[in-house]
Amino acid sequence: MKHTQLGEFEELVLLIVGSLHDNAYSISIKNELKEKTKRNPSIGALHSALNRLEKKGFISSHEGGATAERGGRRKRFYQITAFGRKALDQVYELRSSLYQTLPNVSYAGE
Amino acid sequence: MQGNDHSKHPPRWPDKFLGWFCHEEHLEILRGDVYELYAERIAEHRKWKANLLFYLDIIGLCRPFVFKQKSQTPNTIAMFKNYLKVTYRNFVNQKVYSGLNAIGLAIGLACTILICIYINDELSFDKFHSKSDRIYRVVEKFESEGVGEHSASLPFPTGPALKNDFERQVEGVVRFFNFQSPTLALANKVADKGFNEPNIFFADSTFFNVFDFELIAGDKQSALAEPNSVLITRSMAKKYFTDEDPMGKTLEFQGNHHLLVTGVLEDTPKNAHFKFDFIVSFSSLKKNYGGGYPTTWYWNPCWTYIVLEENTGKEEFEAQLEPFVLKYFPDFIKEDIELQLQPIEDIHLHSKLDYEITGNSDIKNVYIFGLVAIFVLIIASINFINLSTARANKRAKEVGVRKSLGSAKSQLISQFIFESIVLTFVSLILAIAIVALVLPAFNQLTEKAVPLSILLEPAFFFGLIGAGLGIGLLAGFYPAFVLSSFKTILVLKNSHLKTSGLNFRRVLVTSQFAISIMLIIGTFIVLNQLNYLQNKDAGFSDEDVVMIPVLQSPMGQHYENFKNTALQSTHIHSLTAVEEIVGAKSQVGNYKFEGMEQSKPFPRFNVRHDFTSTMNIPLVAGRAYDQSIQTDDSLALIVNETLVKSMNWSIDEAVGKRFEYRGEMKGQIVGVVKDYNFASKHHPIAPLVLTLNTRPGAFNLFIKYVAVKIDGTQVQNALSDLEQAWVSVLPQRPFDFFFLDDRLNDSYKSEQKLSSVTLIFSILAILVACLGLFGLATFSLEQRTKEIGVRKVLGISTAQIMVLLSKEFMFLIAVAFIISIPLAYYSLNEWLNGFAFRIGIEVWPFIVAGLITFIISMLTVSYHAYRASSINPANTLKYE
Repeated sequence: MKHTQLGEFEELVLLIVGSLHDNAYSISIKNELKEKTKRNPSIGALHSALNRLEKKGFISSHEGGATAERGGRRKRFYQITAFGRKALDQVYELRSSLYQTLPNVSYAGE
Repeated sequence: MQGNDHSKHPPRWPDKFLGWFCHEEHLEILRGDVYELYAERIAEHRKWKANLLFYLDIIGLCRPFVFKQKSQTPNTIAMFKNYLKVTYRNFVNQKVYSGLNAIGLAIGLACTILICIYINDELSFDKFHSKSDRIYRVVEKFESEGVGEHSASLPFPTGPALKNDFERQVEGVVRFFNFQSPTLALANKVADKGFNEPNIFFADSTFFNVFDFELIAGDKQSALAEPNSVLITRSMAKKYFTDEDPMGKTLEFQGNHHLLVTGVLEDTPKNAHFKFDFIVSFSSLKKNYGGGYPTTWYWNPCWTYIVLEENTGKEEFEAQLEPFVLKYFPDFIKEDIELQLQPIEDIHLHSKLDYEITGNSDIKNVYIFGLVAIFVLIIASINFINLSTARANKRAKEVGVRKSLGSAKSQLISQFIFESIVLTFVSLILAIAIVALVLPAFNQLTEKAVPLSILLEPAFFFGLIGAGLGIGLLAGFYPAFVLSSFKTILVLKNSHLKTSGLNFRRVLVTSQFAISIMLIIGTFIVLNQLNYLQNKDAGFSDEDVVMIPVLQSPMGQHYENFKNTALQSTHIHSLTAVEEIVGAKSQVGNYKFEGMEQSKPFPRFNVRHDFTSTMNIPLVAGRAYDQSIQTDDSLALIVNETLVKSMNWSIDEAVGKRFEYRGEMKGQIVGVVKDYNFASKHHPIAPLVLTLNTRPGAFNLFIKYVAVKIDGTQVQNALSDLEQAWVSVLPQRPFDFFFLDDRLNDSYKSEQKLSSVTLIFSILAILVACLGLFGLATFSLEQRTKEIGVRKVLGISTAQIMVLLSKEFMFLIAVAFIISIPLAYYSLNEWLNGFAFRIGIEVWPFIVAGLITFIISMLTVSYHAYRASSINPANTLKYE
């Protein structure tokens, strides 16, 4: 199952694509990432991640929504696929089940 | 910033680059993305920052999945990875040589980048106006038989008459005027701040129709429309009003004229050929001239700029100026007058007229700097080639192994070229770091304000990348061929190869040193010429002379009073008043001497009594102006020797010759002074007329400075006595002065700049050349360790080893020296011929340059020779 593994950055991007619903395209994803995680990936890095996610079948895309500031060029919108959703669920389950096993000790003095 | 649409557009080149490498499939989306990002950023950041981020975005998009060709098989990529690894290992393995190599090239590149920045800035002068290709300055050539003036300024009525007569061809005219005064007084009475300002101009209200200077506050249409309006620059607003809003405030001009601030200008860009701090509306002048403008066509104090209509050519327009001159100029001078157009973009580098607003630069210096940049780059590249080739021998085994494993020649060549390009780019990055470090100092030296971000301009950015690729290719080419042509069996059998390509390398080293020696000789001669210009006896004494600007001040009424008060001090020897800075420039007047049919323009200098004694100018015949002879003021003239010679008189004949001035005043020559340099030593000494002018009104136009000879050992006391005398007659005016010799040295600023730049760069050039020599010596030593070992066993002395090892290099330097002599002599002689007063080329700069090169390279090589002689031969001989 090596190919369906999600990298940390990929996971974030996939989550954001899901949460943005119909308005998930590169710039909006970039802005959302910046707002939520305080990191500011280059447009190249973001496209690279989106490209990988699409290849792995986690997201699908269509074109549309040209605007003036883009010089009349179209955007590529992304949607999360059922397969992508399943992958996120798996990751979430894995995480939360592991989290439950943490002993309930308070780390005071931190 | 003009043209809003354009300024919102991202830089063109990276955009094209994206189109070049990006696959069709992704192009539309990606381009849309970067455009959108750019639009967002330009709204909140400065333009350069948005541009920078745009570049970074595009570079960040260089990812395998967007590339056009998918033909790059994993195999070739792996191969390049391997090349990179080998390059890295090689670099680390031979740290010293690779380091020398990279640093040498980095220094060379840094020099070149700096000089390119300088040249780029010099060429950018006055190009920031949107109409700059149609703006011309009209200039006046007023000469008869080579004597007269070539003036940058024109009579008052010329501008309006041009507009009136050629309405269809002239789009706009603007005149500048400053009373021909070095400084004018301004004051903010409310804050009690007053200064003498050097950069005040009166300008027509059409100022903004012609030029694109930025107005921060106020309205371009109306700012200069009313009399008594003034525009001030941002820094002057700070100086006079600190943090207050200057709009609507009042400044007092010359103590009697109130000016209303109607606008704030951005400071003059550093690449404009003149600098202003204040622009006063032209109509304010009417008050000074009885309600109108001066109507004379003789006096020419107005710098006049015109914009031609788009379809009007320069030659076409100039052709109409001859009838124009005949129509307007007075009869007695119109034959001697020619009006010409000077493109504004050419003024900074090509114009050397009389009465320039400020001194200009010289295109010659741009050429010289360019040549120096090329020289330094050649030296550095030669180093690079030399060291790479020399290192090649170390790689012989690697080549042998690669070949026997089936590497094709072309693959080896591309490997070595790849290595060389990688190393070049490492040097390039180092060079940019060096430039970033020294740019502030360089800006100070050259009086510019170029930001580092200039390197992001497309021309520079791609120029740098191109240069990196070019040098890498060129430098890698030769070693690549040498290396790839090694015979496989031979290199695998013998651990050492005979040094190949030595002859080629000899040629390179020789040319490197020839260039270094030429640069050193050049530096000596430039320094010497500068020294000569500044220190050669100019025929008058400029030491301990204090100049006080007095034009347009009430000094006229108080001159005698001031003179008497000042001369009571024992520290003040003598005092006079003059028209211009002595030794810098003169004005022109029309005189008709005995034997002439018609009056001719002669350089003329208005003075007061005691001029010749204050300036220490000897008289060769006749007498100086005498206080006790009343008629001296109008009926007497003093001339110089050259004038006497040009009239074909003998010195003794000259005294008593008659002259006519303005066809009415008829007088006699009463004295002849020895020739002195009344203009800078760029010009030969021309005929000169010294005329006495004692009218108090002369201080409005003809007398600009009081010149005072003081006791050089008591400067402080003399100055405070002078100030006291000043305050006693003009208590309300600020006391300002400068020393004559300091100001005269400024006339040679362009030569000073040239000499400091050549000095710095020739030191760097020889440094880089020595780095190369050091590297080469190391290799030649390594190849001969065994030989030296054997010789030592047989009893060679240290001195003999020195001779053995340095012999070859010394020979090369000797050849370089011989080659450089005629080249240096010829080019420097050409340069010196541009000066009216020049030094002869002596032998010593050549000998000293040769010796310096010889000694420095001797030191470099002998370090190795010494090391070689101290190696125990047992160590070098045991591996057999």
